[in-house]
Amino acid sequence: MLDIRLGDNGEVALSGRLDAAQAPRVQQFLDGLAEPRVIDFKELEYISSAGLGVLLKTQKRFEANGALKLINVSKHLGDVFNYSGLDQIFNVELVEAE
Amino acid sequence: MRDENPGRIEMYFKRSLDSLSEISEFLEGFFTRQGVGPDHLESVTLATEELFTNMLKYGGGEAEILIGLERADRELSVSLTDFDVDEFDVTKVPEVRVDRPLSEREPGGLGIHLIKKMMDRIEYEYVDRRGKTTFVKTLDG
Repeated sequence: MLDIRLGDNGEVALSGRLDAAQAPRVQQFLDGLAEPRVIDFKELEYISSAGLGVLLKTQKRFEANGALKLINVSKHLGDVFNYSGLDQIFNVELVEAE
Repeated sequence: MRDENPGRIEMYFKRSLDSLSEISEFLEGFFTRQGVGPDHLESVTLATEELFTNMLKYGGGEAEILIGLERADRELSVSLTDFDVDEFDVTKVPEVRVDRPLSEREPGGLGIHLIKKMMDRIEYEYVDRRGKTTFVKTLDG
Protein backbone atom coordinates (compact mmCIF):
# COMPACT_ATOMS: atom_id res chain seq x y z
CA MET A 1 0.00 0.00 0.00
CA LEU A 2 1.01 3.58 -0.46
CA ASP A 3 -0.09 6.77 1.23
CA ILE A 4 0.66 10.31 0.11
CA ARG A 5 -0.35 13.46 1.97
CA LEU A 6 0.79 16.94 2.90
CA GLY A 7 2.63 16.94 6.24
CA ASP A 8 2.46 19.48 9.04
CA ASN A 9 5.26 21.59 7.55
CA GLY A 10 3.91 21.57 4.03
CA GLU A 11 6.10 18.71 2.91
CA VAL A 12 4.83 15.84 0.80
CA ALA A 13 4.94 12.74 2.98
CA LEU A 14 5.12 9.36 1.26
CA SER A 15 4.67 6.09 3.08
CA GLY A 16 4.53 2.47 1.99
CA ARG A 17 5.57 1.12 -1.38
CA LEU A 18 5.79 3.20 -4.54
CA ASP A 19 5.55 0.61 -7.30
CA ALA A 20 4.23 0.81 -10.85
CA ALA A 21 0.66 0.21 -9.67
CA GLN A 22 0.79 3.20 -7.29
CA ALA A 23 2.79 5.59 -9.49
CA PRO A 24 -0.22 7.13 -11.33
CA ARG A 25 -1.81 8.15 -8.01
CA VAL A 26 1.40 9.80 -6.86
CA GLN A 27 1.77 11.52 -10.21
CA GLN A 28 -1.75 12.89 -9.93
CA PHE A 29 -1.03 14.23 -6.45
CA LEU A 30 2.25 15.86 -7.46
CA ASP A 31 0.68 17.30 -10.63
CA GLY A 32 -1.75 19.12 -8.34
CA LEU A 33 1.03 21.02 -6.56
CA ALA A 34 1.33 24.65 -7.58
CA GLU A 35 4.86 24.91 -6.23
CA PRO A 36 7.72 22.51 -5.46
CA ARG A 37 7.74 21.02 -1.97
CA VAL A 38 10.12 18.95 0.07
CA ILE A 39 9.31 15.24 -0.27
CA ASP A 40 9.73 13.20 2.89
CA PHE A 41 10.77 9.59 2.33
CA LYS A 42 10.86 8.68 6.01
CA GLU A 43 8.02 6.17 5.79
CA LEU A 44 8.69 5.06 2.22
CA GLU A 45 9.90 1.47 2.10
CA TYR A 46 10.31 0.90 -1.61
CA ILE A 47 10.51 2.69 -4.94
CA SER A 48 10.81 1.26 -8.44
CA SER A 49 11.63 2.92 -11.75
CA ALA A 50 7.97 3.89 -12.16
CA GLY A 51 8.26 5.97 -8.99
CA LEU A 52 11.53 7.47 -10.17
CA GLY A 53 9.78 8.46 -13.39
CA VAL A 54 7.09 10.29 -11.43
CA LEU A 55 9.71 12.28 -9.53
CA LEU A 56 11.65 13.05 -12.71
CA LYS A 57 8.54 14.36 -14.43
CA THR A 58 7.81 16.55 -11.41
CA GLN A 59 11.39 17.81 -11.38
CA LYS A 60 11.07 18.82 -15.02
CA ARG A 61 7.91 20.79 -14.23
CA PHE A 62 9.65 22.69 -11.46
CA GLU A 63 13.05 22.91 -13.16
CA ALA A 64 13.25 26.68 -12.81
CA ASN A 65 13.02 26.33 -9.02
CA GLY A 66 16.09 24.12 -8.71
CA ALA A 67 16.43 20.55 -7.55
CA LEU A 68 13.60 18.88 -5.66
CA LYS A 69 14.62 18.11 -2.11
CA LEU A 70 14.07 14.52 -0.98
CA ILE A 71 14.64 14.01 2.74
CA ASN A 72 14.99 11.03 5.09
CA VAL A 73 15.94 8.72 2.23
CA SER A 74 17.04 5.28 3.46
CA LYS A 75 20.34 3.80 2.35
CA HIS A 76 18.59 1.22 0.19
CA LEU A 77 16.50 3.84 -1.61
CA GLY A 78 19.58 6.05 -1.84
CA ASP A 79 21.28 3.23 -3.75
CA VAL A 80 18.41 3.21 -6.25
CA PHE A 81 18.88 6.96 -6.84
CA ASN A 82 22.61 6.44 -7.13
CA TYR A 83 22.38 3.59 -9.65
CA SER A 84 19.96 5.57 -11.78
CA GLY A 85 22.07 8.72 -11.70
CA LEU A 86 19.17 10.64 -10.21
CA ASP A 87 21.19 11.54 -7.13
CA GLN A 88 22.74 14.10 -9.49
CA ILE A 89 19.33 15.48 -10.46
CA PHE A 90 17.59 15.66 -7.08
CA ASN A 91 18.84 16.98 -3.77
CA VAL A 92 18.86 13.66 -1.91
CA GLU A 93 19.32 13.76 1.86
CA LEU A 94 19.95 10.34 3.34
CA VAL A 95 18.51 9.51 6.72
CA GLU A 96 21.12 9.71 9.44
CA ALA A 97 22.38 6.35 10.64
CA GLU A 98 21.24 5.52 14.16
CA MET B 1 1.71 -23.20 -6.40
CA ARG B 2 4.27 -26.00 -6.32
CA ASP B 3 6.54 -26.36 -3.33
CA GLU B 4 7.92 -29.90 -3.23
CA ASN B 5 11.42 -28.58 -2.58
CA PRO B 6 11.60 -25.91 0.13
CA GLY B 7 14.46 -24.23 -1.73
CA ARG B 8 12.39 -23.86 -4.89
CA ILE B 9 8.94 -22.48 -5.54
CA GLU B 10 6.97 -21.17 -8.49
CA MET B 11 3.67 -19.43 -9.04
CA TYR B 12 1.64 -17.92 -11.88
CA PHE B 13 0.60 -14.27 -11.80
CA LYS B 14 -2.01 -12.39 -13.82
CA ARG B 15 -0.73 -9.90 -16.38
CA SER B 16 -1.72 -6.87 -14.34
CA LEU B 17 -0.06 -4.22 -12.23
CA ASP B 18 -2.43 -5.40 -9.52
CA SER B 19 -0.22 -8.50 -9.27
CA LEU B 20 2.72 -6.46 -7.94
CA SER B 21 1.58 -6.57 -4.32
CA GLU B 22 1.04 -10.34 -4.57
CA ILE B 23 4.50 -10.76 -6.09
CA SER B 24 5.99 -8.72 -3.27
CA GLU B 25 4.30 -10.97 -0.69
CA PHE B 26 5.38 -14.08 -2.61
CA LEU B 27 9.01 -12.95 -2.50
CA GLU B 28 8.84 -11.87 1.12
CA GLY B 29 7.44 -15.24 2.20
CA PHE B 30 10.19 -17.11 0.38
CA PHE B 31 12.94 -14.87 1.75
CA THR B 32 11.61 -15.28 5.27
CA ARG B 33 11.56 -19.08 4.96
CA GLN B 34 15.08 -18.99 3.53
CA GLY B 35 16.34 -16.64 6.24
CA VAL B 36 17.57 -14.09 3.69
CA GLY B 37 17.89 -10.50 4.91
CA PRO B 38 15.77 -7.48 3.97
CA ASP B 39 18.46 -5.74 1.90
CA HIS B 40 18.45 -8.55 -0.64
CA LEU B 41 14.67 -8.73 -0.54
CA GLU B 42 14.32 -5.09 -1.60
CA SER B 43 16.74 -5.32 -4.50
CA VAL B 44 15.31 -8.64 -5.74
CA THR B 45 11.75 -7.31 -5.44
CA LEU B 46 12.74 -4.27 -7.46
CA ALA B 47 14.37 -6.38 -10.18
CA THR B 48 11.34 -8.67 -10.31
CA GLU B 49 8.92 -5.77 -10.61
CA GLU B 50 10.98 -4.13 -13.35
CA LEU B 51 11.06 -7.33 -15.38
CA PHE B 52 7.39 -8.13 -14.77
CA THR B 53 6.19 -4.65 -15.81
CA ASN B 54 8.50 -4.83 -18.82
CA MET B 55 6.74 -8.04 -19.88
CA LEU B 56 3.35 -6.35 -19.44
CA LYS B 57 4.41 -3.41 -21.62
CA TYR B 58 6.33 -5.15 -24.36
CA GLY B 59 5.65 -8.90 -24.13
CA GLY B 60 2.41 -8.84 -26.07
CA GLY B 61 1.30 -12.15 -24.57
CA GLU B 62 -1.97 -12.96 -22.87
CA ALA B 63 -1.04 -15.87 -20.61
CA GLU B 64 -0.18 -15.55 -16.96
CA ILE B 65 3.50 -15.04 -16.16
CA LEU B 66 5.29 -17.76 -14.23
CA ILE B 67 7.70 -16.65 -11.52
CA GLY B 68 10.11 -19.18 -10.05
CA LEU B 69 12.38 -18.68 -7.03
CA GLU B 70 15.29 -20.89 -6.15
CA ARG B 71 17.87 -20.85 -3.39
CA ALA B 72 20.99 -22.88 -3.98
CA ASP B 73 23.79 -22.39 -1.48
CA ARG B 74 24.81 -18.71 -1.74
CA GLU B 75 22.83 -17.93 -4.86
CA LEU B 76 19.25 -16.85 -5.13
CA SER B 77 17.71 -16.94 -8.58
CA VAL B 78 14.45 -15.54 -9.88
CA SER B 79 13.05 -16.56 -13.24
CA LEU B 80 10.13 -15.01 -15.10
CA THR B 81 8.63 -16.98 -17.96
CA ASP B 82 6.36 -15.34 -20.51
CA PHE B 83 4.40 -17.68 -22.79
CA ASP B 84 3.55 -17.28 -26.47
CA VAL B 85 5.48 -14.06 -26.95
CA ASP B 86 7.98 -12.62 -29.39
CA GLU B 87 11.64 -12.77 -28.49
CA PHE B 88 12.85 -10.00 -26.19
CA ASP B 89 16.32 -10.53 -24.87
CA VAL B 90 16.72 -8.24 -21.91
CA THR B 91 20.47 -8.87 -21.84
CA LYS B 92 20.79 -7.16 -25.24
CA VAL B 93 18.97 -3.96 -24.32
CA PRO B 94 21.39 -1.06 -24.90
CA GLU B 95 22.79 0.64 -21.83
CA VAL B 96 21.08 3.88 -20.84
CA ARG B 97 23.15 6.92 -20.05
CA VAL B 98 22.44 7.87 -16.46
CA ASP B 99 24.90 10.74 -16.38
CA ARG B 100 22.91 13.08 -18.58
CA PRO B 101 21.52 16.41 -17.35
CA LEU B 102 17.84 16.84 -16.52
CA SER B 103 16.99 18.28 -19.92
CA GLU B 104 18.13 15.04 -21.56
CA ARG B 105 16.58 12.65 -19.07
CA GLU B 106 13.16 11.15 -19.75
CA PRO B 107 10.95 9.11 -17.42
CA GLY B 108 11.22 5.44 -18.28
CA GLY B 109 14.00 3.20 -19.50
CA LEU B 110 15.61 2.83 -16.10
CA GLY B 111 14.13 -0.53 -15.15
CA ILE B 112 16.48 -2.82 -17.08
CA HIS B 113 19.41 -0.64 -16.08
CA LEU B 114 18.56 -1.09 -12.40
CA ILE B 115 18.29 -4.88 -12.80
CA LYS B 116 21.75 -5.00 -14.36
CA LYS B 117 23.20 -2.81 -11.61
CA MET B 118 21.63 -4.65 -8.68
CA MET B 119 21.79 -8.29 -9.77
CA ASP B 120 24.94 -10.35 -10.31
CA ARG B 121 23.92 -12.25 -13.43
CA ILE B 122 21.13 -12.19 -16.02
CA GLU B 123 20.33 -14.93 -18.53
CA TYR B 124 17.73 -15.20 -21.25
CA GLU B 125 16.45 -18.19 -23.18
CA TYR B 126 13.80 -18.34 -25.89
CA VAL B 127 12.31 -21.66 -26.94
CA ASP B 128 8.98 -22.36 -28.70
CA ARG B 129 7.81 -18.76 -28.24
CA ARG B 130 8.49 -19.00 -24.53
CA GLY B 131 10.77 -16.30 -23.16
CA LYS B 132 12.46 -16.97 -19.86
CA THR B 133 14.62 -14.42 -18.08
CA THR B 134 16.57 -15.44 -15.01
CA PHE B 135 18.53 -13.19 -12.74
CA VAL B 136 20.80 -14.26 -9.93
CA LYS B 137 21.75 -12.53 -6.72
CA THR B 138 24.76 -13.79 -4.77
CA LEU B 139 24.06 -13.70 -1.07
CA ASP B 140 26.63 -12.26 1.30
CA GLY B 141 28.38 -14.30 3.94
